[in-house]
Amino acid sequence: MANEGASGSEASAGRALRIEVRNLSKTFGSGGGNVPAVDRVSFDLRQGEFVALLGPSGCGKSTILNMIAGLIPHSGGDIRVDGTAVEAGRVMPQVGYVFQRDTVFAWRTVARNIGYGLEIKGVPKVEREARVARMIAQARLKGFENAFPLTLSGGMRQRVSLMRALIMEPQILLMDEPFGALDTHTKLEMHQILLEMWERERQTVVFVTHDLSEALTLADRIILLSARPGRIKEDFAVPFPRPRDAIKLRETAAYGELFAKVWHSLGEEFAATKAE
Amino acid sequence: MSTNSIVHIGRWGLLAFMLATWQWGWNLKAPLGQIGLGWLVPTVLDPYFVSKPTLIWNRFLELGCLALPRGGWAWNDPQGFLGCVWSPKGSLWSHTLATLRNTFWGFLVGVSSGVAVGLLLGRSETLARIFEPYIVAFNSLPRVALVPLIIIMFGLGDVSKVVTALTLVFFVVFFNTFEGTRSVDRDLVNAARFLGASDWQVTWTVYVPSALAWVFASLSPAISFALIGVIVGEFIGSERGLGKIIIEAEAQLQIADMMVALIVLMVIGVALVLVFRAIERRLLRWQRHHAERAQN
Ligand SMILES: Nc1ncnc2c1ncn2[C@@H]1O[C@H](COP(=O)(O)OP(=O)(O)OP(=O)(O)O)[C@@H](O)[C@H]1O
Ligand SMILES: [Mg+2]
Repeated sequence: MANEGASGSEASAGRALRIEVRNLSKTFGSGGGNVPAVDRVSFDLRQGEFVALLGPSGCGKSTILNMIAGLIPHSGGDIRVDGTAVEAGRVMPQVGYVFQRDTVFAWRTVARNIGYGLEIKGVPKVEREARVARMIAQARLKGFENAFPLTLSGGMRQRVSLMRALIMEPQILLMDEPFGALDTHTKLEMHQILLEMWERERQTVVFVTHDLSEALTLADRIILLSARPGRIKEDFAVPFPRPRDAIKLRETAAYGELFAKVWHSLGEEFAATKAE
Repeated sequence: MSTNSIVHIGRWGLLAFMLATWQWGWNLKAPLGQIGLGWLVPTVLDPYFVSKPTLIWNRFLELGCLALPRGGWAWNDPQGFLGCVWSPKGSLWSHTLATLRNTFWGFLVGVSSGVAVGLLLGRSETLARIFEPYIVAFNSLPRVALVPLIIIMFGLGDVSKVVTALTLVFFVVFFNTFEGTRSVDRDLVNAARFLGASDWQVTWTVYVPSALAWVFASLSPAISFALIGVIVGEFIGSERGLGKIIIEAEAQLQIADMMVALIVLMVIGVALVLVFRAIERRLLRWQRHHAERAQN
């Protein structure tokens, strides 16, 4: 049953609360055709926690994330970000969001996509270009500064989206299956890039995924959701030491053990989805 | 032989055939008639109706002030040329300039107001619903039927031509901009908001560029509509312009004059469309079909 407001990682206990979710519910539609998507979900996130929201397709992961982001209104419960109640339609400046779908601006080059937020903020050109160049190097996109997105591969486009969000130095990062559309190899490369960045900056992250190995590789804590309507089923701590190596981590015994444990629980939900 | 050379030979051959038929077709009517094949040459080829390329060329030289009224050629007598171009009764070039200028202003004002109103209504559901019945009603009225009223309101001068052109241009551009604005990807808008963009900045950096492809799709027809508006305005009442040359030539049955004006109009139309294609290719080079064309 739901592990009310528990914090999965010991290390973060005592740090400032960044996200509080209480009895959060969402029902789509009105009248007879009600679709309950999320059912009384509660959890807390402290400064610097990296949490993965894991669950089968359609269990309400994106819906939860979008409610935290204020992209859609919630039907019940309460969400606070840094102590302020979230209001649908109002963007919080400390929050960055990476979409499940590819959302690069097709009419801007790679460099101008990444620099978009700084341009909006009015950061002077010289500083902007220096910061964009740094991001491009970290994202391993050197040589593609002036390319338009239509000439890039899916993985490159997703790196552009990621860097476009990260350059704003958000303290809270919400990511909705940002690597869901990528092949295994490209995914691992992206994991390594993200790990390097996060281990340096330590933002508070909610990372939505249905891929268990991805959750284990990146997160400090996995919140497992049940099949629709989404409820919290279990809350696992992921105590692997950092810095992590996305590839070598998977060869360790600890990884295998935890994988098996979460996999069993997740398997029950996959079965429930199928039976539906 | 490559397809390209076949196309070229075909194109030039067709032009030569059409010009020859135009020039000499009618002369074949009598001999063909004697062997019962007169029907092969239709009556519309009568130079009385369509003139002849050589006659048209001569009229072009005269109306265009290349052959000067006081004798001699323009290139030997620049002063005489200028005097003829700006003579009180007008020349081909002064009439062309008048038509072009009115087309330009009608196009410019029509496109800018169409884009502005399209963006505004595309961004505001409430405004769109308030204006919808009026836009539908006004758009279903054939704009050409308004020309007499416009001429009464704005006079025989240039203003009435500009207004006619812009009522035609506005709606094409408006509808395209409106659709383009409404079909903007919501996630792109949200992404921009998360990166700190205000409503106004979202409009400029997301709505405008996404709608741009739609706006451009409307510009070629808009150019044609602007020309149509101005010419129709000039037909119904004007002091100058290519439309006036055409309508006067009709009254006096000066078919060669009319043909000169028609050919100039055709050249203008083609040139304007080519210019817009070039601008479009530059501004929309991030789009797939433009990028592919650029590589060829
Ligand atoms: N706008 C909407 N209107 C009606 N129902 C919706 C809407 N958005 C989502 N749903 C429903 O809510 C449920 C949860 O959707 P959600 O997108 O959150 O799933 P998800 O866990 O992110 O799945 P995936 O892993 O496939 O992205 C789904 O059953 C879906 O049908
Ligand atoms: Mg989703």
